[in-house]
Formats: sequence, structure tokens, C-alpha cells
Amino acid sequence: MPSGRSATRWLILTFAILSITSLVRIQGQSGANTAAAPRPPAVAHRPSAPQPAAARVVRTTIAAPDAAALAKQRALIDKYCVTCHNARLKTANFSLEGADLGTIGDNAETWEKVVRKLRAGVMPPPDIPRPALGDYDALRDFLEAELDRHAAGHRNPGAVVLHRLNRIEYANAIRDLLDLEVDVTALLPPDDAAHGFDNIAGSLTISPTLLESYTSAAARVSRMAVGYWKTPTEATYLASSDASQNMHLDGLPLGTRGGIKSRHDFPADGEYRFEIQNFGIGSFIPGQKLEILVDGERAHLFDYKGVGLSVGMTSDGDGTLTAVVPVKAGSHVVAATFVQDNFRPSLDMIRQYDRKSLENNSIPQIEYYPAIGFLRISGPFNPQRPEDSRSRRKIFSCKPSPTLAEETCARQIMSTLARRAYRRPVTASDVSTLMTFYADGRKTGGTFEDGIELGLRRLLASPQFLVRVEREPPNAAPGQPFRITDLELASRLSFFLWSSIPDDQLISLGAQGRLSNPVVLEQQVKRMLADRKSAAMVNNFAQQLLYLRNLKATSPDGVYYPSWDDELRQAYQKEAELFFESIMREDRSVLDLLTADYTFVNERLARQYGIPNIYGSHFRRVTLPPELDYRRGLLGKGAFLSVTWTQNFRTSPVKRGVWVLENILGTPPPEPPPNVPPLEDTKEEGKILTLREQMTLHRRAPTCAGCHKIMDPIGFALDNLDADGKYRAKQGGEGGVPIDAKVDLFDGQHVDGPSGLRNALLRYSPQFTRMFVEKMLTYATGRGMEYTDMPTIRAITSAAARDQNRFSAIVMAVVKSDQFQMRVKGDDGSRNTTN
Amino acid sequence: MFVSKKFIPRRTFLRGAGITLALPFLESMVPALTPLRLSAAAPVRRFVGIWHPHGAAPGYWSPTKEGRDFEFSFITKPLEPFRNRTVLISGLDMPEAFATDEEPGGDHARGAVLLSGARPRRNAVSPYLGVTVDQLIAQKYGQDTILSSLQLGVEDSGNYGNCNWGYSCAYTNSISWVSPTQPLPTQVNPRVVFERLFGDGSSTEERRNGRKQNASILDSVTKELAGFKNNLGEGDKARLDTYVDNVRELERRIKIAMDSSLQEPTGDVPFGLPESKHVHFRLMYDLMALAFEGDITRAATFMLGRDLSGSSFPESGFTGGWHGSSHHGDKPDNVMNYSKINRYHVQNLAYFVDKLSKIPDGDGTVLDHILIYKGSNMGNSHRHAHEKVPVVLVGGIDGTFKGNRHLVFPDNTQRTSNMLVSLLHLYGIDQWLDDKGKAMTGKLGSSTGRLEPLEMV
Repeated sequence: MPSGRSATRWLILTFAILSITSLVRIQGQSGANTAAAPRPPAVAHRPSAPQPAAARVVRTTIAAPDAAALAKQRALIDKYCVTCHNARLKTANFSLEGADLGTIGDNAETWEKVVRKLRAGVMPPPDIPRPALGDYDALRDFLEAELDRHAAGHRNPGAVVLHRLNRIEYANAIRDLLDLEVDVTALLPPDDAAHGFDNIAGSLTISPTLLESYTSAAARVSRMAVGYWKTPTEATYLASSDASQNMHLDGLPLGTRGGIKSRHDFPADGEYRFEIQNFGIGSFIPGQKLEILVDGERAHLFDYKGVGLSVGMTSDGDGTLTAVVPVKAGSHVVAATFVQDNFRPSLDMIRQYDRKSLENNSIPQIEYYPAIGFLRISGPFNPQRPEDSRSRRKIFSCKPSPTLAEETCARQIMSTLARRAYRRPVTASDVSTLMTFYADGRKTGGTFEDGIELGLRRLLASPQFLVRVEREPPNAAPGQPFRITDLELASRLSFFLWSSIPDDQLISLGAQGRLSNPVVLEQQVKRMLADRKSAAMVNNFAQQLLYLRNLKATSPDGVYYPSWDDELRQAYQKEAELFFESIMREDRSVLDLLTADYTFVNERLARQYGIPNIYGSHFRRVTLPPELDYRRGLLGKGAFLSVTWTQNFRTSPVKRGVWVLENILGTPPPEPPPNVPPLEDTKEEGKILTLREQMTLHRRAPTCAGCHKIMDPIGFALDNLDADGKYRAKQGGEGGVPIDAKVDLFDGQHVDGPSGLRNALLRYSPQFTRMFVEKMLTYATGRGMEYTDMPTIRAITSAAARDQNRFSAIVMAVVKSDQFQMRVKGDDGSRNTTN
Repeated sequence: MFVSKKFIPRRTFLRGAGITLALPFLESMVPALTPLRLSAAAPVRRFVGIWHPHGAAPGYWSPTKEGRDFEFSFITKPLEPFRNRTVLISGLDMPEAFATDEEPGGDHARGAVLLSGARPRRNAVSPYLGVTVDQLIAQKYGQDTILSSLQLGVEDSGNYGNCNWGYSCAYTNSISWVSPTQPLPTQVNPRVVFERLFGDGSSTEERRNGRKQNASILDSVTKELAGFKNNLGEGDKARLDTYVDNVRELERRIKIAMDSSLQEPTGDVPFGLPESKHVHFRLMYDLMALAFEGDITRAATFMLGRDLSGSSFPESGFTGGWHGSSHHGDKPDNVMNYSKINRYHVQNLAYFVDKLSKIPDGDGTVLDHILIYKGSNMGNSHRHAHEKVPVVLVGGIDGTFKGNRHLVFPDNTQRTSNMLVSLLHLYGIDQWLDDKGKAMTGKLGSSTGRLEPLEMV
């Protein structure tokens, strides 16, 4: 594209001028330490603009330290570190004895480990003397400055290997390409995660089995989108076994109670059979009615006669209710629910607990209302090719007519789809390949649609759709950093912020070579964050960051936690998602994740938290009153408190401590060694011990003490919050032992209870931001961060700090980093460390 | 979740008071199955590798006596009816599964050692292990079947987190590796497995047509890949080569399927993830038996859970969670409870073995030709010990494998990787390619030799 290239040249000139002026401005701001920004090493490939300083993450050069400064830091290390980390003891396999402070940059891997520990304040360990806070910080800053000084001369953006679409990205791509929601778990196997995320390129391996899945997925998806299912299919939606169904479900019509709701794709116009089975075993409610809804409209109404288990199994059947309903093709929200006519939620009934499930049998006075066990949908019967559906509207950008030949129209449709799916302008060869399949399908199937279906199937099986690659400039030398192309940047952006393919606008900007223009880039990032599709930052990035995917498997024992049920689990998940989303959408400081004084609740959650006057199933924002101060930030949220459950019947101070170390302080502790004696063995004659007393005895073992001294106090400070997220003053109920939440933290701070802990951790808020940046950069690039990436992570963190750590500032700085926009030639992923 | 079938599955299970009852629907399929080749002239050899996390309860696993006169232990007792086909081995170590001092507890993510005998590589850009024995056996015996192999499991990895210490989750998600860099994904949905076995479509005609289209799509994809490699880094080029190989292999298998006269079984088909683990286990065993009966594949693996699984198995007579109970603290009561979980899994295995013993296969039954290896990467799980891991072998490998033995090896003398080499030898496989494509004789992973007593006939 000659026109694109000359435009680029023009832009280079403009930005060269811009960059000089803004560099001057930045220097003025950052003070005496900042010299001129280093000239990056020669960048190959696209001779892209040296960008304005405001638009890329600035690395500052710092003068080499003088001998006196070195001696001072040396003395500090000798006094406080080398006592354990010396050549003889090699505590934790690590010695700093005689380490040369003049060549810190040459041993960056080692020193980055030191810096990380210092940033989180976890070294020296508790009970070992520490330098004064000022000296401590100065040592850390000195080390970081040295590391960054060295890195400034050795630009290393790293490289990511070819990137297969993972299961979530595939589903999102299908949604954006074809306006079709698919249940991807039935189409593709799960992906192997690494470094905390399931979008790590190196871990997304390729195997025959996987390609088989992609090939059969292509057949199914194209049929669902364009064709129609001529033969009946079936899907079953099961209700979670600990779902209560006693209350109204969010998203169902008011005046209904419980039930089950799911999105279902109907592959043709036709009749579908709905089967519902009841699970309730308790009271039969006379006159009860049950309805089937399609997109919120009643499709069928049953007289509910107390079938199934509520009247015992009979020879008449197992209580399945069946109805045949005509449905139009497409994706619809289907539901089955009880009409709440003569049954009120049990506010005025004798009913102590929320949970429904069977292990509560031993608890008296519990009631079981009829509940829906599963909804099964089969069909279509008498199928008709759908005349209209969301997918068809999206795909058929033209229709053959007397004035438009079928082949011309097909060519247009295939080209449009291929451009989106391949994420670049199409070539003649792309289109001719697809048209061969169109022609084949047109011939064997007999209709225009059959042709499009087969063409689409071929497209979805293409490696150009399934794999993201970034090409190397042929003239680059090994080890040389180079910019990725603007089209490659478009894909990086969309997979980062949307977990999906780029839209037409991004592809156009990429094709025109305009996307890397900092002004355009900034506009696009803002646009993308504002787009609905950025919900992927919540339900993909945040879900993994905060371990929300583990909530599914979180299930404290019903005997100890009779209020735990699926509604609560879902409420916790929703609360955490809404909370994270509010930080993102309102562009707040990410530190608000630790401190924000608001949360989101529905009736169920409000009851758990003790917030009055909240009715109904929908979530709303509430400001936390002073007496609920401990609910502020992530540490007060049920999702965090319950996902760290253990052993079914108690809290796990250790797991909570680990979570805080990993997700707030960015220094995950080692896993416990095997052969740990069980806690219940820890006893003292004639005395009932609190969990804390037990654990204190337990960790007297010297092998355990090192880490537990750091982890446990964090967890103990949170022990007022039970494993189901409820506040408690005592362990063991009303007659139990009072909780002692006073602790001395690893850095010597005295803390009392959850609020105190939260405030004490704020000392490490820069480390929290850095950890957040590290995880986001991992997720954004799709590779694990290495010590060579730390200078960039620090630079992004500082850039964000200058902008109040706002969410968008971090995203913007990540996008502008070398790590995101460049690669290094020769780092081909064949490197493998051995043990 | 759409699945095409020529009939509407009828009621496949009854949902009772917390209990799910499976109807024996797979039995009804059997008459309709037409195995591809059942000639005595072409004996087939098959293999199943079954992995479970968390070792076995010490004191309850090892039989009391050595040799032919051994008495089945509490855990292995359910296999007694198949004594003549069973070999139990005590005293083998799995050193590749150890966690180093720098990665305490990291040894939970080491299931993939079972069939590879190789130590997972840490901090690798891509996961790196070694080829597994099921795949070597599939390569030799399964070239002409519709599927090269099956990988089954019951717990979706829907994973998160680091899998600790810079190890990819692949080492814990997959126990079957077609090459050092290619873990094969584990399928947990019985319905999806069923479709892999019998194809997607409502009639022979439709299924055949679908396969023909797939073959032509894959052929076209191979051509497309040729031009796709320009200007890629060396590592990515190698990755695309793998991609091309995989496409060609898939295409070849589809052509085999197109030529096959395999009939789809009639009757109900499984419809998704069963809620009961018990039903799920049985279904997966049923599907494997079905695959062997129809000679759809020669090798399969089955993961009975994920590492750190908290599943509980009420049918075992003990309701504790798996991982939690495996840290029994060496306390007698806890160990006894844990042994019930172990025994329960052997009971399910016996169900499978019994099934295979009734399926005719050439001159005998499937059991005569197969070998099933069930093992774990831990011995005493409470200590995370990788010594004295439980090893159960059942089958005949076409007359080369002799049952009715309890082999005992002195502590710290023998490792499971040597056993894998001997197993391969029994299958007539003594040479394979290493990760650089060089021929390798008699060494798999970190093996140091063979386990000769096992090879005695």
C-alpha cells in the first residue's frame, strides 16, 4: 500500500517534532534525576516514528552511583541480609555475600528477586532486625534505579510465540463474527493455563485432537449460523444442587419464584420439546403453576400437581413435565419458573436457613419447596429453514437478486467475513479458496445458503482464523527489537481488551498504518474500553486475577454453613464482578480495589452482610456505613472470603494470607511442604483451643515457621469474617470463644481486625499497583513476565501513578509499552529452561 | 450444546433423592455394533492408562505375599476374580515426580509423569515433557483405526492459576502426550466422546457426507498452511510444522472413517455431564469398552480426577473429600477411611475389566489383548512420597503378559519409567524417536533400564 507508506512518513516527521517538545516537558516535570531519554537501539522493519514521550512509557536514565553511595548500600546489605543469605548458609538457596553492587544490571535476575521482596516488605523476616524505614526504601530505590539504568541500554521487549485462540476467545470471535452465542465448552477442550491465565501463547499447544475439535466446531457453528438443523438435537440445563429457588431469580419476570434460566440456541424454526423435572421434596403448594418462558414471554403454563419426589415416585413416571412449543430460530433466553400466586417467600414462615440441599435434613424445621431440577430442550421437529435470525442478518450482507448474481453476492459475503476472521484485508487467494467451497456447497446442497454454509465452515477451519501470528522483518538481526505491524497491533489490542477479534474500524486503521499513531491509538483504546465488549476485562481478566473461577467449586459444608447456597455463591461472584467493573467503567484508581467504600448487593447478599432495606434480586450500589467498614475493598468481599475456604467447616487464615501475599503484595509464598501434621493433632491438655491458638502451636515446627510467620497474621486479622463471608465476633457461635484479631504483621505493624489490616497494607499500595500491572501485562501479551520485563513494569507503574493510578492510565501505559508494541527477533520460544 | 442424533434420547436417568440412577443404556447398543476387523489372523493389541491423584493408603495397598501366592489387599480385592490377568507391583519409585527443595508442594502438578517417565520442565515457554507410552502403542497398533487414541477424564480443568512454580497446567491436565510438546486434551463430556467415536450426523449418508467435506476442508487447509509460514520466527515455523502434521494426520483418520462400515449403536446416548461421579466413571468406562468393541481405537487414557480434587465418593462408604482425606496424617482411622476411596476406584476398574472380559475380540476377548495400567504419581500421599507408588496391571497383551503375580522390589531400587520400557517391550516396541527426532532404543524419560521380572512369561 504505497499510500499508507507515504502517510507513515508524513507522520514520522510530525511526531519527530512533537516528540522533542514533549520530551522537554517531561524532563521538566521529573526533576534532576532525569536526563535525556535514551535513544532506543535501532529499530528494524517498519521505520516507525520515535514517539512523543507523553505517548510512550518513558524510561529515564540515571547517572551511575558514586562510590560512597555504593558503600552505604553495601553496608546495609551486609548488615541485614548477609546474616542469612551468605555463602555458607545460603538460606533459600540464595547468597548476597560479596555480590557486586557495581554490576547489578548484569545480575538482574537475582536482584529483581531482592527488589520484589523489599517492595512487599516481607524481608528481613519477622523477628529479624530491619533497617530504619527510610534506609529500607532507599536501598530498594537504589537497586531499582540500577536495574532500570542497565535496562535502558538493553532494550528487550520479549517475544510471544504464535497464539492459538483459546476457548473463550473462540466463543467471543464467533459472537462478533456471526452474532451467535455458542456453548464453547461442548465444542472445544479446556485450555492449559500458565502464569495465572489461560491465554498464555506458549501453553496453548496444538494437537491432532484439538484440530479435530476445531474442525467439528466449524461444521456445527456454520450450520447454526447459516443452515438449519434438519434433525433433532438436545441440550440439558441442570440446576445447581445447592440452589434454593425459594426467591425470585434476577432476570425472570416479577411474580415468579425460583426456576432455571439459560441462553439456548434454536437451530431452526420449528417445534421444540421442553422437559422439566421437579426436585423439591417438601411441601406441596396447592394450585401451584409452573411456566416456560422464551425471551421473557410465557410459552406454556403447567398446572403443577406435586409430581416427582414431592409425592414420591410412582409408576406413572418420574415427575417430568413435557410441553411442545413452536420457537423461531436463534438464540433465546429460555426459562422455567414457578408462578408465585399463593406462595409468599418464607419471610413469615419458620425457616432458619437459606440453603435447600439435602444434607440439611438433620436440621429441623427446614422446608423444601418445589424446585426445578433440570430443563431439557430437544428439537426441532418439523424444522423449517429460518427466514430471519440475528446471525443471518449479520452474515448476509447482500441477497442474490435479478440484478445481483449469486456468485457476486457470495464473493462479497465471503470477503467481508474473511477480513474480520483473518483480521486483515483479504487477498484474492483467500477469497478464491472460500469460493471453491461455496461452489461445492451450492452444488451439493442445492441452495445459495448451503454454499455460504460450506464456505463459512472452511473459513472457520482456517489456521488464519484459529492462530494469531506476528511476522519478523526479514532484515532484522537476531536479538534486534522491532515493532509489530499496525495490523498485528490491532489484533493485540482486541484480544487484550475484548478477548476477541478486532472490529472493522481497528482493521482499517491497522491496514492504513495509522493505529500506532499515538493519538489514534489513545482514541481507539478509549473507544474499546467504552465498548460493551470490554466486559471481557471483567469476565476474563478479573475473573482469573481474583480467582473467581474457583467460586464454582467453593462449597463450605451445609452443616456448618447452612446459609451457604448457590444464590449466595452467585451473589458473591456478581458483587466482585460489579465491583471490579465499577473501577474500570468509572475509571477509578486501582487502589480503590483495596479501599472503596461502596459495594453492590441484592436482597440475598444484603441479608448476609446485614444491610437493611434491600429487597429483590437485582443488584444495586450501596455505600458502606461506618459499622461495615470491614467490607470495604476486596478484603471485605464474600468472593475473596469464601474462595479461600478450606476443610468445609472453618476459615483458612493461611489461604487468606497466601491470597493477600500473592494478589496484593505480589510475592506468593512457597507451597507447604508435604508431611505436615494435621491441625486436629495440635492439642493441649484440658483446654479448648481457638483456631488461632491451635495454629500458633502448630507452626512451632521450624520448617513451617518461616513462611507462616508472614502468612498467618494476615489471615488472623481477617478471622472475624467467616468462611461463608459472614461477620462473627466469636468462633463457634453464641457460646463460642471470642475471636482475637490483633496481630503483629510481618513488618512489625500492629493491626486489629480486617479494617486495621486493610489500612496497614496501604503502605504497600505501590506494590499492589505494580503487581496489578505485572498481571495485566502478562494477560495483555500472553506470556509470563521475566526479570527482563521488570523495568517496563516499573515504568508503566510510574506512568500510571502520575495519573492517579486510574484504570485507563494503566491500560494505556501497558498498550504503549515496548512489551506490547514490539518483539525481539530470535526469541523464538524454543528456549526451554531445564531443572 | 448441540448434538445431532437420529432419535430423541429417551429418559436416560432418574433423578432421585440426591441419587442419580443410570439406566444400563449402553448395553442396548451392543448388538448394533459391527467391529471393523475381528479376524483372528490380525490380533490387535490395546492399552489403557488410568491415572489417579493422591497415591494409596499405606498398609492397605500392598498384598501380603510376594509372587503367585499373594493375597489381595483391601484396596485391590475387587480384582480377585481376574487374578490370572492381574499383576500388582510394590516398591517402584517415581523420581521424576519429586518436587525440588525450591518448589515444595509443587509435586501436585505431576500427573503427566505416569506414562512418560519424564520430568516436567519448569519455566519453559511451552510445556515440555516426553512422549507417553499410550501414544507409542497407538502409533504402532492404531494407524488404521478411526481414532488414534482417546483421552478421558471426569473433572474439567476449567483452570486458573499458575499450577505452581512456573509449571504449566498441562502437566496436570493431560497424561497423554503425542510428543514432548503436544499434550492431548482430556475430554470429560460423555456426549462429546460418543460423537468422536461414532461421528456427527443423523444417518450413515449424512455422516459420510460430513466426513467427506471435512476431508476436503483439511486438504485445502494443508495447502493454505504452506504459504502461511513466510517471515515467521524459527520457533513459530516449527510450531506450524506441527500444525501441518496434525492436519494431515486428522485428514488420514477421516478417510479411514469414511471407508469404515461401523454402525452407530442404537439406543440412548449419554447427554452431557452426569451430576454423579459414580455414573460418570461408569459411563466413561462404558465408552472405552465401546470404542474397543468397535475397534475404533487401540489406546486410551483416563484420569479419575484432577490433582488436588476435592471430590467425594459416597459409594465408597466414606464421604470425605479426596485430597483432604489423602493427607491422613498417618493416623490409623484416617488411613483406613482413605483406603475406602482407593478401593472404590479399583471396584470401578473391576467393572471395566469384567466388561472387557465379555467382549469377543478375535480369538479371545478384549481383555486378552489389552493391558490396563492404573497408577498414581504418589505413594503415601500424606508425605507426598513418590516412592512405592501403587501399580496395578491387568490384561494379557495377546499372550505376552503373564498375570497372577505380586512383584516386590526392594526400596529405592526400581522406578516406574523402567516398567514403562518393559511394557513397551512386551508390545514389541523397543525403539522410538526422541525429541530431536533421533532413534532411541530402550530409554524413555529418565529410565535407567528395564523391569525384567515383569517381562517373564
